[in-house]
Amino acid sequence: MNKIILIIKREFLTLVRKRTFIIGTILFPLLYLGLIFGTGYIADKSKEDLSVAVIDKSGYFTEAALAKLNQDDTLNKLTLVNVPEDILRDRYDSLGYNGYVVIPATLDWRKGLDSLSFNTNKTYGIGATVPVERKLNRLWDEIKNDSLGIDAGKKTILATSKINLKILNIKNRAADSQSATIIGYVCGFLMYLILLLYGSQVMMGVTEEKTNRIAEVVVSSVKPFQLMVGKIIGIGMVALTQFLIWIACIFIIYNAGRFGGQQGGMLTNTVESIQRVFTSVNILLVVCCFIFYMLAGFFFYSSLYAAIGSAINEDMREAQSLSFPITMLVIFSIMLMTPAISNPSSPLAVWTSIIPFSSPIVMMARVPFGVPNTVPIWQLALSMALLIGGFMLTTWFAARIYRTGILMYGKKPSWKEMMKWAFRK
Amino acid sequence: MNILEVQNLKKYFATQKAVDDISLQIGQGSIFGLLGPNGAGKTTLIRMITGIFYPDSGNILFKGKNFEPENDARFIGYMPEERGLYKKMKIGEQALYLARLKGLSRHDAMHKIKDWFKRLEMDSWWNKKVEDLSKGMGQKLQFVITVLHEPDLIILDEPFSGLDPVNANLIKDEIYRLSQKGTTIIFSTHRMEQVEEICRHIVLVNKGKKILDGTVEGIKHDFKENLFGIQLETLPARTANASFETISTRGNELLVRINEGYKPNDVLSHFIDSGSSVVSFREILPSLNDIFIKLVEGTPTSRQFEKISA
Repeated sequence: MNKIILIIKREFLTLVRKRTFIIGTILFPLLYLGLIFGTGYIADKSKEDLSVAVIDKSGYFTEAALAKLNQDDTLNKLTLVNVPEDILRDRYDSLGYNGYVVIPATLDWRKGLDSLSFNTNKTYGIGATVPVERKLNRLWDEIKNDSLGIDAGKKTILATSKINLKILNIKNRAADSQSATIIGYVCGFLMYLILLLYGSQVMMGVTEEKTNRIAEVVVSSVKPFQLMVGKIIGIGMVALTQFLIWIACIFIIYNAGRFGGQQGGMLTNTVESIQRVFTSVNILLVVCCFIFYMLAGFFFYSSLYAAIGSAINEDMREAQSLSFPITMLVIFSIMLMTPAISNPSSPLAVWTSIIPFSSPIVMMARVPFGVPNTVPIWQLALSMALLIGGFMLTTWFAARIYRTGILMYGKKPSWKEMMKWAFRK
Repeated sequence: MNILEVQNLKKYFATQKAVDDISLQIGQGSIFGLLGPNGAGKTTLIRMITGIFYPDSGNILFKGKNFEPENDARFIGYMPEERGLYKKMKIGEQALYLARLKGLSRHDAMHKIKDWFKRLEMDSWWNKKVEDLSKGMGQKLQFVITVLHEPDLIILDEPFSGLDPVNANLIKDEIYRLSQKGTTIIFSTHRMEQVEEICRHIVLVNKGKKILDGTVEGIKHDFKENLFGIQLETLPARTANASFETISTRGNELLVRINEGYKPNDVLSHFIDSGSSVVSFREILPSLNDIFIKLVEGTPTSRQFEKISA
């Protein structure tokens, strides 16, 4: 037992002292936030601004109305032109327009138009054309309102008087489906990344010990099982440390902002949004569940990765082909997460959050929706019990492959051979 | 007293009888040579003695009791043929870690490492990494790590491969020093000249079976071919005699084989009687290398895969 602790300590210290751990711990949240805000910013900046020529044969569109419209909404300029259609067809490009529309003379305000062609020499995506359509309809609404005799007051009533459906969980009034969805996604993806990144870390560590032949030296003092479990626990502790550092950072920012940030600004906004999310979801429960599923899920997958690491030699391509089935299980779980979040009580979500291989990711996506209302206690308990059983089984199975593989050099074994190693006496 | 006794040990792999019914005894404090061509089963045998593999059948007695890897591992030091160390770990920490895995306390381990590092002039290595060391330096470090916890039994698999003569001598001296302190050393190799120099007792294995067991002297006598070298002041014109056959002549030295029923004295008296003056006369024992080649020859140079039904 003492020796396992020595091994855990070595694994932990070696990894934590590495520059990649420090950089990863600091940079990962920044990158994550950067990715979310960055893509939003880029998408916003890269909107296409079209200049559209309008030939009006119906007489509904007036120069004054268009000018007012362009003033209210600066994206996409609509210009009324008074040139014959066939001339515009040849010259709209050189006149500085991206395309043109021809409003037919038959247009009737009571019927509208089923289809109006936006004539252009490029195929624009809906990202560019939908705003143009919206702009035209805005003008069209004014025309309809005028024709129906609706004044400004009635217009406001039409625009704002609506029925909005909101979900209220009467057993747990704080639960908010939107916050739960956000937290569910964040938890699921974080779990996915931790399982894959730290799982492959275990695999590479085992392969390194094998190809360095250090395994032979160590295995003459400790059992192969101790070496494998020590490595897995050590790396698991590193993952836990990293996660706790992140939680501590969020907590510090949250409190610092709450006490010091009365002046407003971005920090206070962030704090407010965090506060809203925190109060709507039982955050302590989510963090505790996350730690459980992170460690148990990590043990489940990393022991399989360790078995593969022990079977391969220097060649990393061998690692890829052998670990493919395991990696597929993780990827499959993340694919199951999206339907589980949109319907957290559906049978698919329930069962995939109970079956061990997908439960770490899917259950973590469901837990923010509330325990015990969305996720009954029996489901959570069954899922946890099965996952503990699952990782004990994979560890047992992996240890049997590991003890043979770690000292076996030469040809890469097939899955079939590895099964033989596992099930022979 | 025998520190290690191996009885009818067997280990079969899917395609090979790696170790097939081997028994041997190793006396306390001896330097024991385990010889055999590549793939003879030496490493598998050693791995069973170090507790890395479980034997299929047979017993291992360590200090007279059944060998229990978990408790007995700390009395054994094993240096595998392929050297193994963490490349990125600092040398001092690495030595400390591996010593503590053997069961030494932090304080003891530290003390012993400092001691060894000082003696082998490795003081300045403490904060270096293994990847900074040359191959020879790495070997030295591996040796220190093997013997650090003062095991009663040290198993060295090809300890000198890749070492220059100066460092090889340094290690050799340490081996002798340990042996004098009562440590038993198993020395596995296929380099016969080293065995002849260092070991007193040897076992030769081939194709998983023990084919020779005895002291170096005894084995040489068993395999002697009654060859003698005679150096004469001048070579006589005729040397033929019923008592011997001349194998070869180099300068004034004759290599002769004494025929059945005759003694060395008969050869000497022949030359003395014939008036030649004898400068030297000595028995030529076969080298272990010759014995090794003679015994192993005829068997395929590398082991063939076979079907095992067991």
